[in-house]
Amino acid sequence: MNKILTVALREFLAVVLTRSFALGILLPPVMMGIVITLMPALMNQKPPKVQGHVAVIDHSGVVADALVKAFTLESMEARREQEHKAIAEATSKAIGVDAKTAEQATKGASLPGAQPDLPTLSVKVLPPDTDPEAAKADMRANADKRLSDMGPDPRLALVIIPKASVDGEPDADNSQAHATTYPDFPIFTSPRLDPEVTKDIRNETGRAIVDARLRSSGLDASKVRQLTARPDADVHVVTASGERKGNEAAQILVPGAFMFLMWISVFTAGQYLLTSTIEEKSSRVMEVLLSAVSPIQLLAGKIIGKGAVGMLVLTLYAFTGMLALVAFAMMDLVPWQNLIYLVVYFAIAYFSISAIMTAVGSAVTEVAEAQSLMSPIMLILVIPMMLWFPILRNPNSTFAQVCSFVPFINPFVMVLRISGSEPIPAWQIPASMLVGAAGVCLAVWAASKVFRIGVLMYGKPPNLATLVRWVRMA
Amino acid sequence: MTAAIDIKGVNKTFGPKVAVRDMSFTISQGELIGLIGRNGAGKTTTIRMVMSIIFPDSGEISVLGKRSAVESKDRIGYLPEERGLYKKMKVGVFLNYVARLKGIDGAGLDKRVRDWLERVELLGSAKKKCEELSKGMQQKVQFIASVIHEPDLIILDEPFSGLDPVNSRLLSTLVDEQHAAGRTVIFSTHQMSQAEAVCDRIIMVNDGNKVLDDTIAGIRRRHDPKTIEAEPLHAVGDDEFGALARLPGVESITRANSHLLFNLSGRESAEQVLARIVQAMPVSGIRIVRPTLEDVFIDIVTQAAKTPEERARLELITSERRGPGGSASD
Repeated sequence: MNKILTVALREFLAVVLTRSFALGILLPPVMMGIVITLMPALMNQKPPKVQGHVAVIDHSGVVADALVKAFTLESMEARREQEHKAIAEATSKAIGVDAKTAEQATKGASLPGAQPDLPTLSVKVLPPDTDPEAAKADMRANADKRLSDMGPDPRLALVIIPKASVDGEPDADNSQAHATTYPDFPIFTSPRLDPEVTKDIRNETGRAIVDARLRSSGLDASKVRQLTARPDADVHVVTASGERKGNEAAQILVPGAFMFLMWISVFTAGQYLLTSTIEEKSSRVMEVLLSAVSPIQLLAGKIIGKGAVGMLVLTLYAFTGMLALVAFAMMDLVPWQNLIYLVVYFAIAYFSISAIMTAVGSAVTEVAEAQSLMSPIMLILVIPMMLWFPILRNPNSTFAQVCSFVPFINPFVMVLRISGSEPIPAWQIPASMLVGAAGVCLAVWAASKVFRIGVLMYGKPPNLATLVRWVRMA
Repeated sequence: MTAAIDIKGVNKTFGPKVAVRDMSFTISQGELIGLIGRNGAGKTTTIRMVMSIIFPDSGEISVLGKRSAVESKDRIGYLPEERGLYKKMKVGVFLNYVARLKGIDGAGLDKRVRDWLERVELLGSAKKKCEELSKGMQQKVQFIASVIHEPDLIILDEPFSGLDPVNSRLLSTLVDEQHAAGRTVIFSTHQMSQAEAVCDRIIMVNDGNKVLDDTIAGIRRRHDPKTIEAEPLHAVGDDEFGALARLPGVESITRANSHLLFNLSGRESAEQVLARIVQAMPVSGIRIVRPTLEDVFIDIVTQAAKTPEERARLELITSERRGPGGSASD
């Protein structure tokens, strides 16, 4: 046992301490983790506080008052509140968490300071006969200055509201009588003005103009707005145990992510195992090792060591994913027992596939030779990758159920089905694990036979039939 | 005392090829044995079976009193013929790893590795990657790897192959030291002169069969000298040559440059024949040519040759070796 652990430790360190592992495998999730944890702090670097006024030349005479009201502190706070609600609602619809959780998440409970301070803006109404160029003079003078150097109450924007924007003008191109068009209005802004603030000025001016138009037609603007708001559907999924909110995006993303994560970890580890076995053979260090440990001890140590590498990759990526979910308060998307299943199915997938890959590695002397032996194995293993969508759409289809009991691909299929939309028969989970365990035993048994013969065999690489003969022979 | 290795009636075949046939021998503890034979004779297969890396089809092998080497792996040091190192691993780390695999652990391990590297003048390379070493240096590291755990039984498969004369001598010294420390050493080689210089006893393998198992002295005794090389003081005329050829115990004479080679019939001892030659002809020098291990080996192989063609080929080699200058030795 001690020797197996010694081999395992070397196998683990031989991969983990390389630069390519650090760069290729560790860096991406670590970077993601750093970004997620540091995001709030980074977001705290708020844009400089906007302080100044917006000048309005209102040729219609009926819009400016509404604009003044729209940029009081209270109105701006109310608008921001509403924005949060809208985002939370959209999030809750897209991924199926309840609106309150989503609201908390988006409001900045976990991303404090993500929002810049509200701007201190006032609206200065200029007389309608003001020369627009003269009104822009202040902005022109400040154009190259920083926001903080512009003086106590700099002019940040100039809005000109043409009379026709409210009253309309006869459409020159349209021959129809009474046809009216409403021209756009210009906004001139300082180059330093936050685009978000520009957007706010544009929206509020537009809204004030529309309100003025409605008023001049004798309509109640707020009533009209209420009446014209387009309702959205509230999707509910009806299941045997009741109804739950529809969560289309999460239904596809979470199980898919689980399966890909497992696939990547298993194959990263398996690939390392294949190349390290080939390296030991081609560098002829194999027999030196076999003088100290038995082939089975070596095989076991290698599989355990590289399994630890795979587990490290899996944990790292899964942990990063969890961190992201926690950061966005969406942990309830992943039931904790699914994580346990993920680990169990990873173990099953890893041990069966790695055993085969080690056997292949032991039978050849070069990586290129391994490819021809690996291709039939890969053909079987891409099945869950190719069919993940149909399996997910219908986790209880005959095809999905049959695949759950085919060794080597069943861990991947089961991970998809368990985290899929539809509950699967409870007995299938332990039953598929048993089949998986049997697959592991079969693979390890066959691999140990091939390994014992293969490791000392040099020369012409064997074909699949030869490998089968070795299994039956030894 | 239990035997270091006891092999009884072992057979091993690979498909149609018989690699080892009915092999039996016993090696006592403390012996220094050479396992010699041509390439492909079955030496490495025999050693691998002793090491339990492969298993015999039939027969029994016991190693250090255990039924298989698996049970006494930590007491055996093995330098395989197919030996290598982890290219990217540092020399010190590699030796440490191998020692750990052989059950050595604890505080003394680092010092032991350092001491050994110092002995073979490689201390400066401890932190180098194995691939940065020359082939000879790598061989030395591999030798250390096979003895670092102070095994009772050391098996070296072709330890001298690829070594320059200086490193060859160093390795010989190290092997002698291990033997002097009371350890059993077996090494296989196809370079007979090496075995002849180092070993107490020789086991010779040909075509999977054991063809000879004796001490060096025993082999010399059993394989009588067949040639006397003489340097006449003056030129030998045809009459004189004929008279010499008729001396009792002489079968034929061959001229080789200024020398005469007397091929003995074997009916009388070489010493008696030598005395007669000296009486019959004034010589400036004369000696009995002892058969080397190589000569013995070729003799045995020739006798065992299955086809007339093979025998003819081997006899040609023999006659070339016995040609001008007498017996060749490596």
